[in-house]
Amino acid sequence: MNDEPVDTAWVPSLTPPEQEDHESYFQLVWRRFRRSTVSIIGALMILVLVLLAVFADFFSPTSLYQIDLQSSFIPPQQIHFFEDANGNFHLGPFVYNYVYELDPQTFQVHWVEDTSKAYDIKFFVQGPEYKLLGLIPLNLHLFGVDEGGTIHILGTDKMGRDLWGKACEAGRISLSMSLFGTIISVAAGSVLGVASGYYGGWVDNVLQRFTEFIAAFPNLPLWMALAALVPKTADSFTVFVAMSCIFALLSWTVLAREVRGKVLSLRETDFILAAKEMGASDARIIFRHLYPNTLSHVIVILTLTVPGVILAESFLSFLGIGITEPLISWGLMMRNTQDIQTLGQNAWILAPIVFIVVAVLGFNFLGDGLRDAADPYAAK
Amino acid sequence: MNDKDNIILEVKNLKLHFPLYRGVLRQVVGHVRAVDGVSFKLFDGEVLGLVGESGCGKTTVGRTILRLYDPTAGEIWYNKPSGERVNLARIRQREMKPLRRELRMIFQDPFSSLNPRLTVKDIIGEPLEIHGVARGKEAEQRVAELMRAVGMNPALMRRYPHEFSGGQRQRIGLARTLSLNPRLVIADEPVSALDVSVQAQVLNLLQELRDRLGLTLIFIAHDLSVVEHISDRIAVMYVGKIVELSETVELLSHPLHPYTEALLSAVPPADPDIHHERIQLRGEVPSPANPPSGCIFHPRCNYAAPECSQQEPVLVEMTPGHFVSCHFAQDLHLKGIEASA
Ligand SMILES: Nc1ncnc2c1ncn2[C@@H]1O[C@H](COP(=O)(O)OP(=O)(O)OP(=O)(O)O)[C@@H](O)[C@H]1O
Ligand code: SF4
Ligand SMILES: [Mg+2]
Repeated sequence: MNDEPVDTAWVPSLTPPEQEDHESYFQLVWRRFRRSTVSIIGALMILVLVLLAVFADFFSPTSLYQIDLQSSFIPPQQIHFFEDANGNFHLGPFVYNYVYELDPQTFQVHWVEDTSKAYDIKFFVQGPEYKLLGLIPLNLHLFGVDEGGTIHILGTDKMGRDLWGKACEAGRISLSMSLFGTIISVAAGSVLGVASGYYGGWVDNVLQRFTEFIAAFPNLPLWMALAALVPKTADSFTVFVAMSCIFALLSWTVLAREVRGKVLSLRETDFILAAKEMGASDARIIFRHLYPNTLSHVIVILTLTVPGVILAESFLSFLGIGITEPLISWGLMMRNTQDIQTLGQNAWILAPIVFIVVAVLGFNFLGDGLRDAADPYAAK
Repeated sequence: MNDKDNIILEVKNLKLHFPLYRGVLRQVVGHVRAVDGVSFKLFDGEVLGLVGESGCGKTTVGRTILRLYDPTAGEIWYNKPSGERVNLARIRQREMKPLRRELRMIFQDPFSSLNPRLTVKDIIGEPLEIHGVARGKEAEQRVAELMRAVGMNPALMRRYPHEFSGGQRQRIGLARTLSLNPRLVIADEPVSALDVSVQAQVLNLLQELRDRLGLTLIFIAHDLSVVEHISDRIAVMYVGKIVELSETVELLSHPLHPYTEALLSAVPPADPDIHHERIQLRGEVPSPANPPSGCIFHPRCNYAAPECSQQEPVLVEMTPGHFVSCHFAQDLHLKGIEASA
């Protein structure tokens, strides 16, 4: 930075203090963040998943709660354009009617296109009634077909539920639970990390040993044991909170150590000493000077912790000890794929994997971008 | 000015030994004797320069006096305006808090001493808030006043430190230090981190403010040329100890310690025609973790005699007000410089 010449003379009167245009910390971070394409892509990926989850009823052409055993394991329906088998011209995309045939030898159900009937895909159509955000009754859907036809772009599961709609809906639990779990772990990690780093001495010693003790447990058996403690009869909300806390166990030790390290390095910096020199209390030093300066770091860790929790959730639910019906998560949807035979014949039921991958990548991209942007003063 | 009865601070045999840890079990394997028996008196209203090479413990002395570090041993007697005497080395942090209004510090590095997440207004106004002096509009007015006092435009008070240059930042630090009308300020190399072109401006400002506010100042520097103009007296430090202390003119013209002589020879002469020989010291500054026996300066001293490595000299008053710690102070005829002050 250049040193502009300054007038050392007493300055008697100047323009009144007005709102100056200046860059706050968050503006600086935003400016740097914007320059990183990867993190913007990551943020968009997450945004899309969140929108799909929140407005799952709108994005799903069928009711999310409808079970129709007659239409189990329909493969992803093919979307056609322009001309159907009978030579009729269609302006927009359309799907054929799907009917099933029984294989005379194996007695297995095969879904085939019935080209005699075509249904145009319409946008912003009236469909099954739902409550937007659980409040506003609405029957508008993004897309759909006329009465009598079906449209399952990702196919259906055993219960005949639309996988696309279900996967959108499952994002509600998968995303909110991993975020909630991460926030619990950030809160715990921050408190313990700050206490450890700031007070040092025996406090630090005790907390460090405790953290090491917790971290020394093998994760998987610990989660399974804890998850088994959650009663199967508990209501959905209890299960949600209990599972979130279990996932928080996964990450708080890492976070506590990161925060401690950051606090240790900040503790000896001059502006902390300056606060002490002014007579600031411990609480003031921690909340006004120390913690805000670790916050950017914490946000980055938070972003990078979420994917781990998403994966852990999928894994536990996949094993049947995480989320259980009637809640639905991506991991739980994958539970059907455990049966090799079912999977072999209906490969499309793996579709939720795509959602998991997008979520994990999205958070990792975002975290990477934030890491570079969060410390705008480092460049100097 | 140097009225003997007007002592504001008296430091007696101050020591701070930082423990050195090693290994996973963090065993104490030794001590860094950063400050090792420092004694001096500070008179009300004077400027005392504290000079010494990097690493000799100047910052540590300053921070220990203000109890940012807890001393290992020694006394720090502070005379309150009420006349009461308190030993800062022994009181609790809680009792120290009200005194922090009167005893302030300017930090060396203007880049790390300002919290990057606070606006200038919050930085300068923080002491006001901590000590409950002013709030809201009143605090803002006081901040504007202080900014003007250090030559800054108060319109900039909502900016963040990173938007300012080093010189400007040091002015912000200065305003923060002055915000509670301190009595005693310890300025820890306030200009050494600044560009040479700005150093003079900030120094002038500091001197002007000191005169205006009647501050007592301990001015720390690693170079005599910075302090010789501003100081009434100068103390020379070497590896945790004061080796010489005297009035500025006396110290410059009649140094009694070989180390002071060497430092003086490094000061560029006022008149470039004067032939001037720089004394080269042998070797490096010894580590305060393992200081030499006897006189700490003996491995580098050009006048060292065998007894220097055996016996440790003490700080004695050679002539009135001139203290030195050297066995041969009386016999050596050391070269000073023309005192310009
Ligand atoms: N917190 C600490 N822990 C251990 N050793 C320290 C600590 N602070 C300072 N020291 C050591 O104490 C000695 C004196 O340091 P100090 O910072 O007081 O020197 P200084 O004279 O101010 O030097 P400079 O001119 O570089 O600022 C140095 O050897 C330093 O390494
Ligand atoms: S005591 Fe000896 S070694 Fe120390 S300064 Fe004096 S002459 Fe040099
Ligand atoms: Mg220093």
